[in-house]
Amino acid sequence: MTTNGQQKRPQIRKKDLSLWQLSYIPEIIKGMFLTFKQILRPKFTRQYPEEHWTPPSSYRGRPVLVEEDGVERCVACGLCARVCPALAIEVQASETEELAKERYPERFEINMLRCIFCGFCEEACPEEAIVMSNEYELVFSNQEDAIFGKEKLLMTTEQLKERLEFLKESR
Amino acid sequence: MSTRTLEEPVRSRILSALEDQDTTVTLDPLENKMVLNMGPQHPATHGVLRLLVRLDGETVTGCVPELGYLHRGYEKIAENSTYHEFIPHTDRLDYLSPLANNVGYVLAVEKLLGLEVPERAQYIRVLCCEMARIASHLVAAGTMAMDVGALTVLLWTFREREKLMDIYDVLTGARFTTSYTRIGGLAQDWTPPATEMLKTFLGEFERDLAEVEQLLYANRIFVDRCENVGLISPQEAVSLGMTGPILRGCGIARDLRKDKPYLVYPDLDFDVITYPEGDALARFYVRMEETKQSARILRQALDKMPAGPIHANETKRVLPRKERIYTRMEELIHDFMLINLGVDPPVGEVYQAIESSKGELGFFLVSDGTANPWRLKIRTPSTANLGALPVMVKGGMISDIVVVIGSIDPVMGEADK
Repeated sequence: MTTNGQQKRPQIRKKDLSLWQLSYIPEIIKGMFLTFKQILRPKFTRQYPEEHWTPPSSYRGRPVLVEEDGVERCVACGLCARVCPALAIEVQASETEELAKERYPERFEINMLRCIFCGFCEEACPEEAIVMSNEYELVFSNQEDAIFGKEKLLMTTEQLKERLEFLKESR
Repeated sequence: MSTRTLEEPVRSRILSALEDQDTTVTLDPLENKMVLNMGPQHPATHGVLRLLVRLDGETVTGCVPELGYLHRGYEKIAENSTYHEFIPHTDRLDYLSPLANNVGYVLAVEKLLGLEVPERAQYIRVLCCEMARIASHLVAAGTMAMDVGALTVLLWTFREREKLMDIYDVLTGARFTTSYTRIGGLAQDWTPPATEMLKTFLGEFERDLAEVEQLLYANRIFVDRCENVGLISPQEAVSLGMTGPILRGCGIARDLRKDKPYLVYPDLDFDVITYPEGDALARFYVRMEETKQSARILRQALDKMPAGPIHANETKRVLPRKERIYTRMEELIHDFMLINLGVDPPVGEVYQAIESSKGELGFFLVSDGTANPWRLKIRTPSTANLGALPVMVKGGMISDIVVVIGSIDPVMGEADK
């Protein structure tokens, strides 16, 4: 720890101001010039509801279940429910003989009021069955609607193509 | 006048006034001393900070900051979650620089586990820390200027910050709740689009910051409002445990990046900014100059960043790569074990601090060998820095409180934890 060991850095204090600057007239002119200059700049804001934003493929939107050949990939191992820091996921496993896999989720629910969109479920999943989509507009009118079951969570691989490719490259 | 010398009815009136946050009580109309509650819902308190102020006319004779309105019990939550599960919670500590908190936390866990991350990951973490510092200082400078009446500056600094937020989005997948770092690595690699965006940002940043400087530096109103306001001596600053721009604004060159180097900071060239005056204006200058130093670090780190892996090669402690989980049994087992049971740290204690934008952000971990920390103490700079508020505002005007809070730049998510 050194005290005052640094070189002097520029700063303007009251004593450094000239009488002309103290009169505030140059500041008004300068301020007006700088502010009006902004009008000529390209617009930085977006008119949101009319102008939609397309998220990049790395974006973590709402988590969804991947549907392949009409059935979910999920084997109900429960790893996503375990890793979820917000305890938003509930999985109820069941056995099946009709499908290629032995287990499937009889019930799969994500409470979207609890979900914090951290993407840990996607990271933990050993089957690439739960991924973060690019959907960010979530509206519910009551608490029951916010609990998404399988019917709301399933999304086909075509819909999720971009995200699945991103995951293949980056993870 | 101390409350001990007061007779009982006056004393009880003071105490009841302190308890009720909605009252303003004038104790003696002739002496005109009153207790004022500022906040918790006050536009200048930067969050839910409540100040109890005793006034003599318009002069502040005493001040007690009341913290805890945003207390969410993060230290206790940590005791009941695995080391991995706590990462998203660190986003929400200092919500103006989530990436720096992510880095600080995982550095502490890695120190406990004895993990060393590859050089590329260290460079990316440096980039994260410095982007977070710029974003946080921009908000600090903007809000402080807004508090003294220069609203334009806030909009301009937020525009600059927005560009950084877009980079976070491409890099981490979220603008705000980044959760980017992992124990022994990162969630995903740094990408070429992020490099491009950061280069564009750095190309324009200093030009746009110069506009802010032109608007404020020789501005008499701004200088008048900030000069000799919130004065604190270096001795007081050290004894109150202040860190970060406030300490450097008192002329003490304490910067953990230099004094206790972590990551790859020794390989990077930058200056520690100090100003000797110790007032609000000096702190403002420290922040503005520090953003330029951070931009310098970002440029160097982009050039020096090597190619290579971003995860430590420790299969039992670092989450395995996805394509190996899908194809190999061993990695699949590791995935299940790490998620279900967590890492197995040795018994012990570690303290790891980083220089976050507000000061020394330290994580003190006590491990009993299980997957959950036995205790996690978060040493947050905002809490310590707010302790200096009574010293800074005493003897000043009531309108100076606003400037002093702006110059301390507290983030209540971090102060209350």
